Amino acid sequence: MSNKYKVLLVEDESNIRTLVSTMLETHGYQVIPAETCSAAKLMHDSYLPDLVILDLGLPDADGMQIIRHIRKETLTPIIVLSARTGEQDKVRALDLGANDYVTKPFGSAELLARVRAALRTNRHSADEGKFPGGSFTLGKLVIQYDARRVFLDGNEIKLTQTEYNILAFLSEHHGKMMTYSTIIKTIWGDTADDSSIKKLQVNMANIRKKFGIKPGDVTYIQNELGVGYRMDL
Amino acid sequence: MKRTVRDIFVTAGILIAAFLISIAFQNVFRVDEHISTLFAFAVFLISMLTQGYVYGIVSAFIGTLAINYAFTFPYFAFNFTIPVNLISALVMVTIALLTGALTTKAKYQEAIKAESEKERMRANLLRAVSHDIRTPLTTIYGSASTLLDSKDELSEAQKETMLMGIREDSDWLVRIVENLLSVTRIDSGKVKILKTPTVVDELIDSVLFKFKKRFPSQQVLVTLPEDLVIVPMDALLIEQVLVNLLENAVMHAKGLDRLSLCVSCRDGRAVFEVRDNGCGIPAEKLPKLFDTYFEPNETVADGKKRNAGIGLAVCATIVRAHGGEIHAENPPEGGAVFRFMLNTSGEQP
Repeated sequence: MSNKYKVLLVEDESNIRTLVSTMLETHGYQVIPAETCSAAKLMHDSYLPDLVILDLGLPDADGMQIIRHIRKETLTPIIVLSARTGEQDKVRALDLGANDYVTKPFGSAELLARVRAALRTNRHSADEGKFPGGSFTLGKLVIQYDARRVFLDGNEIKLTQTEYNILAFLSEHHGKMMTYSTIIKTIWGDTADDSSIKKLQVNMANIRKKFGIKPGDVTYIQNELGVGYRMDL
Repeated sequence: MKRTVRDIFVTAGILIAAFLISIAFQNVFRVDEHISTLFAFAVFLISMLTQGYVYGIVSAFIGTLAINYAFTFPYFAFNFTIPVNLISALVMVTIALLTGALTTKAKYQEAIKAESEKERMRANLLRAVSHDIRTPLTTIYGSASTLLDSKDELSEAQKETMLMGIREDSDWLVRIVENLLSVTRIDSGKVKILKTPTVVDELIDSVLFKFKKRFPSQQVLVTLPEDLVIVPMDALLIEQVLVNLLENAVMHAKGLDRLSLCVSCRDGRAVFEVRDNGCGIPAEKLPKLFDTYFEPNETVADGKKRNAGIGLAVCATIVRAHGGEIHAENPPEGGAVFRFMLNTSGEQP
């Protein structure tokens, strides 16, 4: 009957629940609310939503439990709502499988942008992460996966093997925040420690330089201090 | 452990010095009388410089033994029957105890003073925050009630204005909360912050992103070093400092049209500068600019004084907790410049 995306909203504060539901419903999403961890697990299993919005500060349990529960069976995109100082929680949630996060307080524009990005990512994941024609386009950036070539505004950018791998990885998950440890594990198979993070930071700096990105200009490669990187416009 | 080792060295050092000087007295100057005074002085020094009573008392005994053995008749033999010896022993032990007591008390007093200074600052901060929070809340509460009660009497334009006011003041509240959270991150007794290697380019990106959200029309000229610079810091806190400084310039530098942010490396330190060409900092405010959160008798008649009190004090607290320094001045060409420096080596000075 309804072609709307189903969003499971896990939030114990009723005012925030009302607020987020209103934001989502006025933009054509259907909201399924849950107030506790156990209710959330139940709702997820019965409704199989397209997206889960989860507040990390739940009373009865760690939001991480819900993430683990969901990730056991599905790839449903998860967006966590976090407090500004909860860096560790954010990184943990992302490493456990959450796709992205929104910091409280947030406006409707911010939340909806993340929701759209998360839903879009999921669709592409269903196509095994490949894009039609074996290439990726975002704004003026074009990545040709088969030829391993990168173009920005028509000009080719020469990247090293590692730099290309990182860029391609971010593009495959574009719109989604990739933590340092996820990137490091994927590209080098290492764990994230001071030296591997530094290696990653150096590579990202080189990529930014080659792209000619000016400071304050967060196009294509956004960084979240202490957390990771995201490819987005 | 380090302290103990140091104290042992100090004790041994001073005793050996006293011993040598006494031998010099004895052999070169041929005087014996001042030796016990010398050792008494040694005991006094040791008690002052070491922690606790132990070293002082131990050195008092060693001093007595030394005098008995080496410097009183019979020389180089122990003889405990001479009353003079016993008296000087007692004197030295007393000196050790009293000096020990005095220094312990002095340290205690200092600790209390520091604690009460902290309490005073905290009380000031709370007062400032309560005041700063009440103002935007007044608008938010008032506007929301008006919108609810006088729905029909307000024009669309008026409603729109009220709603925008609510959003603006909520933004203001968010900034206050962020500043507060920054302070609590470092204010928990020991001023230990967790530093992680942060890429300066990425830091500035975050700062500008945040700043542009609130002041999208304000241009910022950015100058960064050519090479990659990585500085150990608590990135969220330093981001807070830079955002505060930039916003401060926009809110308070009247006549501002050029705002610049510059990062450079000098003598093993990263130097961050926020410069504007506005009206400059009033001379009378300069000396205490970073020192007080909010003095009780300062009237906030000017509604535009938003956040300035907390903002700069928070900046100073954060920078100092990193072991860095922060300065403000009115440069000769006009305007104002705020500058802070962080060590790039990561060693806590």
